[in-house]
Amino acid sequence: MRRTALVAGAANGIGALAARRLAAAAWDVVAVDTDEDGLAATALRSPNTHVRTCDITETKDVADILGVTGAVHRLVLAPPPPPAAPEPPVDEVMREAFLGPVNLLRAALPGMLERGAGEVIVIVPAAASPASAAAAAAAGAYVEALADEHRGRGVAFRCASPPAGAPARLVLDEIERSLARPGEVRVAPGPRPGPLRGPLRRVLFGPGTAGTSAPR
Amino acid sequence: MTSAAQVHPIQGHEVALPVKIRDAAVASAMFAVPAAAAQAVIAYSGLEIAEPWPGRAICSLAFVRYADGDLGPYHEFAVAFLVRPPGTPPPSGRLGRLRGMRGVGAFIHWLPVNQEFTLECGRSIWGFPKELADIPMDLAGRVKRCAVQVGGRTAVEVAVRPGAPMPGGAGAPKVDAYSCLDGVTRRTPWTLAPSDVRMRPGGAKVTLGDHPVAEELRALGLDRARALSSTTVGHLSMSFDPAEEVAP
Repeated sequence: MRRTALVAGAANGIGALAARRLAAAAWDVVAVDTDEDGLAATALRSPNTHVRTCDITETKDVADILGVTGAVHRLVLAPPPPPAAPEPPVDEVMREAFLGPVNLLRAALPGMLERGAGEVIVIVPAAASPASAAAAAAAGAYVEALADEHRGRGVAFRCASPPAGAPARLVLDEIERSLARPGEVRVAPGPRPGPLRGPLRRVLFGPGTAGTSAPR
Repeated sequence: MTSAAQVHPIQGHEVALPVKIRDAAVASAMFAVPAAAAQAVIAYSGLEIAEPWPGRAICSLAFVRYADGDLGPYHEFAVAFLVRPPGTPPPSGRLGRLRGMRGVGAFIHWLPVNQEFTLECGRSIWGFPKELADIPMDLAGRVKRCAVQVGGRTAVEVAVRPGAPMPGGAGAPKVDAYSCLDGVTRRTPWTLAPSDVRMRPGGAKVTLGDHPVAEELRALGLDRARALSSTTVGHLSMSFDPAEEVAP
């Protein structure tokens, strides 16, 4: 049976790469974004990628997508592109980077819980400003609370918070590895810390990236 | 003869050459196999196996995830042999053999893929021996793993353990890829730009199934064979030029 992945924020950046990797692995991919041209580029020459142009902050749009997608086995919520300067108001940042993903998650999760299987991956935006830091913290706390609430029901929750400038391919690799470690929720991309790995981590991911994956 | 058309209509898309691959990841292993047996496997191409050591040839097994490229996203597995360029005499002596390895190409003997768009592109543009298969792959883990399943039967499973980081090379290596489909042998100039490369001696495990290609590989002694070396590439960009027919 082909598995279905729903990838929001799939028009560019890490969301586009996540969608393409899943398509390469023969998943049926539903790529969602408001950027129609970006979605077309993501789905180019990929017959198993289906694009849906919509705003996930709109409850009706999300319901429409879930209505035609069928069972979702993996939900990937990738961050929107960083806001252009000057940064939009805080409520707009929260709406895009927190409330939109929550909207889609709340719509897709009941089906996963009912089937007793699924993977929810939330990639929070790098904290480029106080507003985006607040959105990232809220998303992380929300995913952790969901993971606690639904522990043991077959759905894996991961929340990745890559530092700014972290290569998307390494972030996705770390998320993929974390899915093999049951119970882990927070994913901090990069090599695991060790006596020789701190410098390597700084080379790959930039300074100030001393976080670790926190087993729960 | 170089392909006249530089744009190929495939499934409603126009595929322009050279085809560009912007992001791929690879794991591969090289094995020393009996040259006579390897020559028998590729005899249909008319090409000659390269022998870096007397009586020994090189067989390479590789698995690739194409994440971003002109052929769409897909997984691929390759069985390849190092071959001498057509028309070159067999080198003699130890130094001659080493010098002879400089111009060797890679003959692609089997190239299963898991998507139909790249299948048609590969066969019609370059004559690559692509066929459809299920190719589950794990390139995120410490040990990179791949399996090829055709019609529900496992043909081959390969696991590649991590090696030591290699320094970045200058420039992009150019290799000639050879293929033979429907009796036509072709040469395709192929440029690679790898980064995040790791390499080690040995480091690969091959398990063969019951597919006809698995039987060929078993006859070469590859079932659970020790690799000469294995390599992983975290990021690879590539370019494939038009194919040229060659008369070995």
